[in-house]
Amino acid sequence: MKKRPSCLASLASVAIATVLSASAASAQSVDTARIESGGQNDWLTYHGSYKGYHYSPLTQINSNNVGNLAVAWIHIPGRSTRGLQSMPLVADGTLYYTGSYSRVFALDGATGEVKWSYFPELDEALIARQTHSPYNRGLAMGEGKVYVGTMDGRLIALDMKSGKVAWDTKLIDSQKLTVGFTGAPLYAKGTVVIGAQGGEWPGRGPIFGVDAATGKKKWDFQTVAGTDDAMKSWGNDSWRTGGGGGWMPGTYDSENNTVLWGTANPAPLYDWSGPDWKTQGARPGENLYTTSVIGLDIDTGKLKYYHQELPHDTWDFDSAVGEFVMLDRDGQKLIVHPNKSGYIFVYDRNLGVKNVWRITENSNFVKSIDPKTGELIGRRDFTAGKVDEPLCPHISGGVSWNSGSYNPKTGLYYKLGQEWCMTLTITKTTPIVAPQAQLNIGADFKIAPPPGGEIYGHLDARDPVTGAKKWEVRYPEPPLASVLSTGGNLVFVPDARGILHAYDADSGAELWSHNNGTGHQGGIISYSAGGKQYVAVVAGFGGMASDDYAPTFGGVFKSMPRDDGALIVYSLRQ
Amino acid sequence: MRFQFSVEAIGPAVLALALSLPVLGHAQPAAPAQPSEQDLANFDVKELFAGTCGFCHSDGGRVAGKGPQLMGDQHDDDFLRNRIKNGKPGAMPAFGATFNDQQIDAIIIYIRDLKPR
Repeated sequence: MKKRPSCLASLASVAIATVLSASAASAQSVDTARIESGGQNDWLTYHGSYKGYHYSPLTQINSNNVGNLAVAWIHIPGRSTRGLQSMPLVADGTLYYTGSYSRVFALDGATGEVKWSYFPELDEALIARQTHSPYNRGLAMGEGKVYVGTMDGRLIALDMKSGKVAWDTKLIDSQKLTVGFTGAPLYAKGTVVIGAQGGEWPGRGPIFGVDAATGKKKWDFQTVAGTDDAMKSWGNDSWRTGGGGGWMPGTYDSENNTVLWGTANPAPLYDWSGPDWKTQGARPGENLYTTSVIGLDIDTGKLKYYHQELPHDTWDFDSAVGEFVMLDRDGQKLIVHPNKSGYIFVYDRNLGVKNVWRITENSNFVKSIDPKTGELIGRRDFTAGKVDEPLCPHISGGVSWNSGSYNPKTGLYYKLGQEWCMTLTITKTTPIVAPQAQLNIGADFKIAPPPGGEIYGHLDARDPVTGAKKWEVRYPEPPLASVLSTGGNLVFVPDARGILHAYDADSGAELWSHNNGTGHQGGIISYSAGGKQYVAVVAGFGGMASDDYAPTFGGVFKSMPRDDGALIVYSLRQ
Repeated sequence: MRFQFSVEAIGPAVLALALSLPVLGHAQPAAPAQPSEQDLANFDVKELFAGTCGFCHSDGGRVAGKGPQLMGDQHDDDFLRNRIKNGKPGAMPAFGATFNDQQIDAIIIYIRDLKPR
C-alpha cells in the first residue's frame, strides 16, 4: 500500500501550487500602477521604482547569511565595446538587459536561459564618428513592451514575450548632430520619455515624450532655450549651439502628473568670460535650462517648474547625472537630487530648494552653495589662458551618473563621492556644426590629485536631507557603478577593480566580496524568481570616465579589457 | 554669432558653419569646399584641440589621458593619418568626413611640433 503524503507535505504542495499560480496570474502587463507600487519581486524601471531608491525590499539574502552568496549563472552579451553600463530590469521572473550597440536580451531570471535576443541594425558609420558611444544604459518597460534607445537617434519598442519589434521611431537627426541616445528611457502613463545626449555637443538637447502604444512622438522639449523666457538667457544667439540634453532617466511624480528630469551642461564646457559671464564670453547669460532639474507635464511636455542648479555652468557639472529620490520627512514631501559637482540638492515636490549639502571633500569651483536658496557663492569663472589653481572636482565629477541608493529601513542614502581635480588652460573655440557637429570643450586639461593628497573614492552613508554622515568606506580608485541596498540590511558596491562588495547597511562593516574579473561601471539589482532571491550586476569596463584609469592608476587597469563584459547573477548556496 | 577669429583663419568645416548658421536648424549640411591656401595656412589646430581633440588627448596632446600621449609619438605619418580618418572603435571617433587631407596634414604637423609647456 502506498504511503499517503503527510498532512504537512500536502499543505506545502498546495502552498507551492498557490504561489506558482499567483505568479502566473500576476504575469500581467506592467503598467504605471504596478511600477508605482514597486513590486517586491521585480525591478520594473531603471531606478527600481518611481521613488528612485535603487532599493530591494527582499530579505532572503541578509547580513546574517550573505557569506553564502555565490554565482548562480552568468550571461555574456558579446561585442561589449566600452564595457557594460546598463541596469537590468525584471518582471515576473524574466530579466531584461542591454549591452553595447543596444543589444537587448530576455533571460530566465533563475537559470539565465536566453528567451530571446534582439540586435538592432545601426548606422555604424555614424557610430564610428561618436565619442560617448556605443554603450547603452538600459531599458524601460510597460504595456507588454520593453523600450531601448539607440546611438543613431531612434527609440525602439520590442514585445516583451517574443522580442519582435513593435515600433521603431527616429527622433534625432544624429547624422547631423552626431549624438544619439545612451540613456535608459522612462515609461509612465502611456508615454515613453527619453533624453538626448548633448552637453559639450553643439545642439539644443531635446527630451522626447513618445506614445507607448504607437511610437508616435507626442512632444519634445528643448533643454536649450525651450521657452521664450529661456531664450533671453543666451546672448549672441549662443542657444543655437547651446548643448544641454537629458541623457539619464528621471522619474515620474504621479501626484503632480509630472516627469522630473535632470539636464546637461551647456557648450562650450569651459567659458572664457571671467566674472562678466552675463554679458561676455561664449554664451552670455544663465543658459536656461542647462544644468537644471525640470518638471514637465507628462502629457504635453510643457515646463511646469524648474531649478537651475548651476546658472551659467562653466565646469561641466551636469544635473543630468542624478537620481530623484522621492521621500517624506516630518510630513514634508521632498526630492533629493545629486548634481555632478558633488552638491546634493534637497527640494520640495515643486523643485523649491529646501537644503543643499556636499558629498565631496575637495571642491573649489564655488566657495559654497546657500542651503536655503541654492545661490552659488564665490564662483570661479575663468578667462582665456592657464588657470592658476587646479579646479576641483575633475571633469568626471564629484559624483557621476551611477546611482546611489536610499534604504527606507535605515533611513540612509548610500552614495559614492569622487575626489580628483584638474589643471586647465582655457581657449576660445568656435562650435563646429558642419558637416557634422563636433565636441566643443573650450580648454586643454589634465587630471590632477586633490591638493596635498591622492585621488580616491568613497561610499558615504548619509542622512539624505541633512547630509549628516554616519559612516564611510574609501577606495583607492572611485567606483563607477551604481549602488544597491536591500531590506536584508545590505549595501552592495561594485568597484572599479572588479570586486563586488557587500556591507552591513547599519555599520558599514564589509561582510562579503567576490571578484567578477573586470571593472564595474553599470547597474545592480535584486529580484526574486521561483521563490529565490538573486542579485544581478553587470561587469565590463571602458566608459568615458574609466578611460583615465589606466594612465592615472596603472595596476590592474593596464591589462583590463575595454571591450568585454558579462552579466553575473548571485544567489545563496543551497 | 560671434567668431573668435577672422573668416580666413577657418577651414572648410567651420566655414560651412559660417555659411549655414542663420538657418542652422533647417539647413542641409554644406559640402566641404576645397580650402584656400590661406585657409590651410591659418587652420588653427591648437583651437581644434581645445575644442575637440583635447577631450581625450590631455593638455593639448602632451600627456596620456583618456587617449594616448601624442607628443613624441613614434608612429609614422601614414598611421596618424589613418587613425584620424578612421578612428578606433570604442576609443576614437573617425574624422575622415570632417577634415580633408590638407587639414589632417596640419594636424600631423601640430602633433610633430608638440613640446612641453
